[in-house]
Amino acid sequence: MNPTIHQEARQSMQRHRFARIAAAAVAAVGVLTAVGAAPAGAAKAKPLAAATINGSGATFPQGYYDACRETFKKEQPNLTVNYPNPGGGSGKGRQEFADQVTQWGASDAPYPAADLAKVKGGSFLYIPTVTAPITVSFNVSGVKKLNLDAATIAKLFQGDITAWNDPAIAALNKGVKLPATKVTIARRSDSSGTTQNFTGYLTKAAGSVWKLGTGSTVTWPEGSQGGAGNPGVSAIIKATDGAVGYVDFSDAVATGLTYASVSNSTGKYIAPTVAAATAALEGVTLSADGLYDPLNSPNAKAYPITAPTWLLVYTKYADANVSAAVKAWAEHLIGDCQATAASIDYAKLPKAWVTQTKARLAQIGS
Amino acid sequence: MSAVPTTVAAPGASILRPRRGTGARRFRSGLATTLIVLAFVVALVPLVAVVWYVTKQGLKVFSWTFLTTDLPFSTRSVEGGMGPAVVGTIVITLGATAMAVPLGVLGGIYLNEYGGRSRFASLVRFLSEVLTGVPSIVMGLFVYTFWVLRVKEQTGFAGALALACLMLPVVIRTSEEMLRLVPHELREGSLALGSRQSRTIRTVVLPHAAPGIVSGSLLAVARAAGETAPLLFTIGAIQTANWSLFSGTNTALSTQIFGNANSPFLPAQDRAFGAAFTLILIVFVATALARVVTILYTRRTSGAS
Amino acid sequence: MTSLLEPPNQVSPDAPRPLVGGERPPGFIADRAFRIVAVAAGVLVLLVLALIVYATVSKSADWFSSEGVGGVLSTTWEPSTGHFGAGALILMTLIVAAVALVIAVPISIGIALFVTEIAPRRARLPIVFVIDLLAAIPSVVFGLWMLRQLAGPLADVYGSVHDAVGGVPLLGDLFGDPSASGLALMTAGLVVGIMITPIITAITREIFATTPVAQKEATLAMGATRWEMIRGAMFPHARSGVVAAVIIGFGRAVGETIAVALVVGSSQKLSANLLGPGDTMAGIIANQFGEAAGVQRSALIGLGVVLLVLTIVVGAFARWVIRRSNRRMGLAA
Repeated sequence: MNPTIHQEARQSMQRHRFARIAAAAVAAVGVLTAVGAAPAGAAKAKPLAAATINGSGATFPQGYYDACRETFKKEQPNLTVNYPNPGGGSGKGRQEFADQVTQWGASDAPYPAADLAKVKGGSFLYIPTVTAPITVSFNVSGVKKLNLDAATIAKLFQGDITAWNDPAIAALNKGVKLPATKVTIARRSDSSGTTQNFTGYLTKAAGSVWKLGTGSTVTWPEGSQGGAGNPGVSAIIKATDGAVGYVDFSDAVATGLTYASVSNSTGKYIAPTVAAATAALEGVTLSADGLYDPLNSPNAKAYPITAPTWLLVYTKYADANVSAAVKAWAEHLIGDCQATAASIDYAKLPKAWVTQTKARLAQIGS
Repeated sequence: MSAVPTTVAAPGASILRPRRGTGARRFRSGLATTLIVLAFVVALVPLVAVVWYVTKQGLKVFSWTFLTTDLPFSTRSVEGGMGPAVVGTIVITLGATAMAVPLGVLGGIYLNEYGGRSRFASLVRFLSEVLTGVPSIVMGLFVYTFWVLRVKEQTGFAGALALACLMLPVVIRTSEEMLRLVPHELREGSLALGSRQSRTIRTVVLPHAAPGIVSGSLLAVARAAGETAPLLFTIGAIQTANWSLFSGTNTALSTQIFGNANSPFLPAQDRAFGAAFTLILIVFVATALARVVTILYTRRTSGAS
Repeated sequence: MTSLLEPPNQVSPDAPRPLVGGERPPGFIADRAFRIVAVAAGVLVLLVLALIVYATVSKSADWFSSEGVGGVLSTTWEPSTGHFGAGALILMTLIVAAVALVIAVPISIGIALFVTEIAPRRARLPIVFVIDLLAAIPSVVFGLWMLRQLAGPLADVYGSVHDAVGGVPLLGDLFGDPSASGLALMTAGLVVGIMITPIITAITREIFATTPVAQKEATLAMGATRWEMIRGAMFPHARSGVVAAVIIGFGRAVGETIAVALVVGSSQKLSANLLGPGDTMAGIIANQFGEAAGVQRSALIGLGVVLLVLTIVVGAFARWVIRRSNRRMGLAA
């Protein structure tokens, strides 16, 4: 064999190999930059001066806010966003925000009229951030799927239906074998925004059938079992055959509960999913001041027991760094972090809402 | 039988022994003894059960890393430790102790040695007793209203204040009771020898009452370290260790136990038990140290063991 | 060495010299300073405690004014209608405290007696450490342990008790329908009883340990058995101190928040059923404060005021009982 041809061949092969490696390297770098550019694209936002912003309030959105605090820290390493575990409750969140003890707040309900005057920091904004279904979870042996409507749910939770083979349930679930097990109601022992929204839904959708009213706590019937927090209620449901209770979607999924499909205002039975929760939002209007009510939404694809929640932020802060930090935090919540919502069982906002809210965020610091 | 008693009022064991008695008296005494021993055993049952439960769960995560790593952002997270909570508990509880114990013991000294039955002393005594019954959460609200709202921030100091308010009535009451148990003869003897009242208190009364006062104070500190509710309104939250009492929010083991134990995620529950184990360990070690120090101190000053 | 012939009333060289002019005796200033410090402590304590009372009362004024005394004592607590009556809660708080004291006081006295009279000297310190360990356990841990480990077995126990005595007229009301989850007034009383044992034990132990030996020897010299000595020499000496300890224990019992909130069942309906769910004032504050607004907030703080009044009443009652029995025994009232 001719050595030069051989050498040439080898050199050519080496060049090709080198080219292949180089191409692979370039591709790898390209992929890494693309992957890194997703957050780095946001990191293209200029790093803000150091600030710590404290928040408190609802536990309903806590899972989402915690995950977003982590991604936000990577995006803006100089900023620290704190949120207690557990959040403390919407009432506490509103109070501490009004007292300017915290720089931002989280609440499942807007301020009652009487408390508006007590907000000390001047004008503030309600910012929608995320939503999620409230499931009606149950533990009935042999039953894997259940359809329920508002009236039946109302009767279950106020003690009118005492056994699972009641005709009212059977009528909605033709073909499902319902045992005669006694119904045990699992509810919250602590006051909660989840109870407020769940009972609010029943008042709206079940009308006069629901007699216990709306509130962060109501007078549940005798024999009902109280659990501390969503996990407490989940634990009761899991441990008791015949139990039914209302649990936030992310907790229900984490505990592995079975939940019912609920008929919405158009009569269709919808299972609690994040897509159905976003659909609920799409069916209602987001008013100019940020308020909205997704309970019993008119959208045909909506899950009717979808709970609202809001971020509370002031438009003016004494410290300009805090102002910038709060603005960046809010923008992160409705912007980059929305993509992670579904993976932690939260439902993102409709795109139109994000645009509308982003425009309102310009008011912060102005 | 000793010919002359050591002092009229000296407490402690006598060289006389109880008789066993006969018949019904013997039965009653034996029954009483059995019940007394039973009481001790019964008290041990929940103690052993809880310590076993917490240790078993807590040792799953307990390690030096656990004690020094920052808190995770989310309860879902598998990683993360309780470092900031350990720092917070130590700093806040020490702060509370520094405020409540000296003031409480001095208050007890005032009530028993100087105040006596005066109207002013009776008022202080009355208020102390009444406030032993205030729920811990109300103390937290009190500090929120009178301190946090004024400075417009939540800090470890506010938490320490709330805990100190909780400890103060108990420290005062137990100190006063322990001082009252000191026999008058000891005081009178010291005064008769020409010692001033303050010197009598310092050299005779306090060493005699010290074990009891330390006991009461330690129990108040142990309770404060384990309290959640007063801290909920006063210290805020933080992910990283904050050694400063006066600047920035803080966190504590008790609040972390409360927040994590109720989570549906197993790693969070494990962290909660790790925190519980850590807290029990810290408090117990601190209590044991304090007792040993007290014994050494009183042995040195009183001469007798 | 002085001579024996010296006059007896000669002042020895070590004796203090007489004061001259307006001179103060040595150590006077230090003594005064200490006294001032002690009095200042008393004043500061008074200010702090009075401030707490003032703050609690003033924040709850809304509730008192909107409900009036009758409303405050009514037995319905209904946030949805805006009506907050503490009557049922007061009763159930007292029930839980009573259960706790019934459990804790005999056990504490027993442990104290064990340590001072029965246990060998060397075992004293380890036993003290054991009780300290009990005190070191945070209240939330007790609550969680009770909730997770004991509530289930307790539900079964309650079922058996109810089956056993449910028929008997008065007992049947006390031991009525058992709670299916084990979360009940009795459960709360149990956990609180465990938690107040260390403090009552500590004080009682000190009291028993300082019983004058002469009193004990007096009974022993007459041939008393151990129980007779305890009853005759130690209990009379200990009575007022034990009452003080019990009142401190009572205070802790009604003030216990988180542990009770977790295991009491959170039902505000008036009930004397030990085996069924209920609620206490501290428990309901813990459960409902996070979401409370307006009058409800004021009402929850007002429950703190009610607890203050309760502690006053119970304390006064206990002291009256002691005075009466002292009088009967011929001791100073």
